[in-house]
Amino acid sequence: MEQINTKTGARKSHRGLLSAVFFVLAYLAARIVLKQEEFDELVRVLAALLPVVPFAWMLWEFIKGIQGMDELKQRIQLEALVVAFPLTLILLMTLGLLEIAIKLPPEDLSYRHVWAMLPLFYYLGLAFAKRRY
Amino acid sequence: MKNHIRDLRATRNMSQEELARVLEVSRQTVNAIENDKYDPMLPLAFKIAKVFGKTIEDIFQPDRQKK
Repeated sequence: MEQINTKTGARKSHRGLLSAVFFVLAYLAARIVLKQEEFDELVRVLAALLPVVPFAWMLWEFIKGIQGMDELKQRIQLEALVVAFPLTLILLMTLGLLEIAIKLPPEDLSYRHVWAMLPLFYYLGLAFAKRRY
Repeated sequence: MKNHIRDLRATRNMSQEELARVLEVSRQTVNAIENDKYDPMLPLAFKIAKVFGKTIEDIFQPDRQKK
C-alpha cells in the first residue's frame, strides 16, 4: 500500500507486515495443534481461536493503511472490494448449489476453504482497478 | 471533466512529483487527474485551485461530450 507520508507509511507497512507474520504463525500453530487428537477440547478450542487476535490486528492495520491513503487510492481499494465481494458471492452460491446437486468432497471443495480465496479475489480486483488509473 | 493542470504545472516548471507533494497525494493521483481518468473530490479540487492561484472553474470544465 502506497502511503503519502513516507516515514509514517513505512512504519505502518512494517506493522502491517508484522501483523501478517504473527497471523501466519498463529494459524500454522493452530493447524498443528488441531491435527493432534490427543489434546483435550479446551486446548483445541483455544488453538482454534488463537489466529483471531493477530488476524484482527492485521485487519486493523489494513484499515489504518487505507485511511492513510489519498482519495484515488481509497477509490482503487473500494473498486477492488467491489470486484472481490460479488466474486465471493458467486463462489458461495456455486458451492451451495453444487452441494445440493452432488456430494462435494469436504477436504477440497468445502466452505472452510472459501476464506482463503478472498485475498485472491481482492488482489484480482486491485489489479483490475489499478489498470483503470 | 476536463482540466488544465498539465499546462498550469508546465508554466510553473513543476513536476508531477512536486505537485503531488504540495497536494499531499500520490504522483499516480496527479497523473490520473491530468489524464482525465479521475475527477478529484471538492477538497482536493480547492487545493489544486489554491496552488495555481485560480478558481476551480478556471481549472476544471465539464466534459460536454459526456451526458
